[in-house]
Amino acid sequence: MAYPYRHESETRILSRGFGDPAARTVAGWKAMGGYEGIARALEIGREATIEEVKASGLRGRGGAGFPTGLKWSFMPKDARRPHYLLCNADESEPGTFKDREIIRWTPHQLIEGCLVGSYAIGAAHCYVYLRGEFFESTRVLARALEEAYEEGLVGTDVMGSGVDIDITLHVGAGAYICGEETGLMSSLEGRRGEPRVKPPFPAAVGAFGMPSTINNVETLAATPHILRHGGEWYRQWGTDKSPGTKLFCVSGHVAKPGNYEFPLGFPMMELIEDVCGGIPNGRALKAVIPGGSSVPIMSAEDCRECPLCYEGVEAAGSMLGCASVIVMDDTTDIVKQVRRMAYFYAHESCGQCTPCREGTTWATRILQRIEDGRGTEDDLDTLIEISEQMTGTTICVLSDSLAMPIISSIEKFRDDYLALIRRGERVGAA
Amino acid sequence: MSDARFRNPGWAGNTGEFDLTEADVRGSEFVGEQPLDGGHPSVAPSLPYMLVKKDPEAPLFEGPYLERFEKIRSRYPMARAALIPALNLAQELRGHVSPETMDEVAALLGLSDAFVRGVATFYTMYNKRPVGRFLIQVCTNISCNIRGADEVLAAFLEHTGTELGETSSDGDFTIAEAECLAGCGFPTCVQINSRYFEDVSAKDVPAVLERLKREVNDGF
Repeated sequence: MAYPYRHESETRILSRGFGDPAARTVAGWKAMGGYEGIARALEIGREATIEEVKASGLRGRGGAGFPTGLKWSFMPKDARRPHYLLCNADESEPGTFKDREIIRWTPHQLIEGCLVGSYAIGAAHCYVYLRGEFFESTRVLARALEEAYEEGLVGTDVMGSGVDIDITLHVGAGAYICGEETGLMSSLEGRRGEPRVKPPFPAAVGAFGMPSTINNVETLAATPHILRHGGEWYRQWGTDKSPGTKLFCVSGHVAKPGNYEFPLGFPMMELIEDVCGGIPNGRALKAVIPGGSSVPIMSAEDCRECPLCYEGVEAAGSMLGCASVIVMDDTTDIVKQVRRMAYFYAHESCGQCTPCREGTTWATRILQRIEDGRGTEDDLDTLIEISEQMTGTTICVLSDSLAMPIISSIEKFRDDYLALIRRGERVGAA
Repeated sequence: MSDARFRNPGWAGNTGEFDLTEADVRGSEFVGEQPLDGGHPSVAPSLPYMLVKKDPEAPLFEGPYLERFEKIRSRYPMARAALIPALNLAQELRGHVSPETMDEVAALLGLSDAFVRGVATFYTMYNKRPVGRFLIQVCTNISCNIRGADEVLAAFLEHTGTELGETSSDGDFTIAEAECLAGCGFPTCVQINSRYFEDVSAKDVPAVLERLKREVNDGF
């Protein structure tokens, strides 16, 4: 078995080519049914392509879960101005490592997805914004894209259809905020990656001032399969509100961390216990962050009956985000980890909005003080107050993303904080 | 051989169920040599590399690098959009982006010096001062952290005899802390120049450093 992340119960749509070097070539990808999705899109036309994706119920895999077909339908129908598709490959949400796997193992899956998306929204140019650290995976994608150009799959007259679609790979230079869609647009235009106020929404005024749509790598990668087999086919998996399959990135305290593909709605505990081999060293589950570091922390109890779909995780008090399941056992020092997250958000705040610039920094300092054993119980109230002021008061949701783990950790692991504050005891510290 | 586990970096080394080579994982045979001129224009903005060899006096831009720069410019509807790829290219050549480099890039693109400095200082990956032949960036964010990233970082500092952000006396290593590198399933994830080394634990650090030393000597 070449690829270590396999489990017999997986549903492998997106991950079928993982671990197979042959899938990186045009010939290898075509042998797996590649480029049939874009061929069908070109055959049925732009409107029908959007309808097919709408019918599939595919929701954005970048974290927000917005219906993809609906997003595409917001784009102007006329072609008076250039339209752009932007692929968000700035994967940098802590705990998330799925897009990199798609890019480095199945680059044509993404290229084909970019073609489908571009065609659907009437874009003649697609920019793939890759995070700067992805040197190796970007080189794989670059070589694949060169081959796709050579084969006439991308560029002028795509597959003899008369439609022109160019793709350009653009790399960033290390800034988490460029994964926010309007921050990404700012960065693509050669500016600081500062998010912009919406409205205007990107479909009206996007990259270079033109109508634009931004989709995540995994979202676009799913579209060729939907076009090839039909929207109804995709709905055979998942739930009514969360159709299809999803890559679950499991990290932290499990025996076999990795990317596993399952229908949405898959039980969280089954993923942790059965698929990932459970928690090693006989330890017990303490907490899970189910969707990347920007969502509320769940206690072990919250996870018990939680299905991994958008509505299921929401009902359990958190968010599915990009399905990055960070598993923490009972040795985990929650205060330290929340402080580390706060440091991350303070480092990555672009600094435009005061509640975020100041809030992330002060929250980090207070958490550090508590971690160092110099905190007071009042500090917990202050943290909650700061967090509330960081919620819904800024241009983008970066500060909200820190507020959620802070508030939820104090609610659910108050005893850990109090042990440090009252007795100087670090829970879980080795 | 102490670095046996590094036959498959970028991998879940602890599951023991794989049979791919490092070249398979990294795709190095598939991608081949890096074209200095940037290859096809569609990929030219995406090809900067962090190299062992750095020349702080390298001209901006000449020969194949000028070709790559022109290809980059051809892909955007406005000149300014070429700024980040151009700064990346400057760093590939020079190893860091000094204020003078920022001004040179500004002149090339017809932008103001102040604007370019504002952009260049926004992004973490631009080294504002020279770094060692190998820039070793250890992820200490949550997924790696709960699996011992702090110890890995400490081991790199100890075995290179450096402080965080400083360069070792032989000029080989600069150690830095990095935010999530998107290799969370393979903790600890370490970016060394252009490559990822994954599943790195504190005890693996000497073997990683030995390998890098060998690569310098081999003229890597």
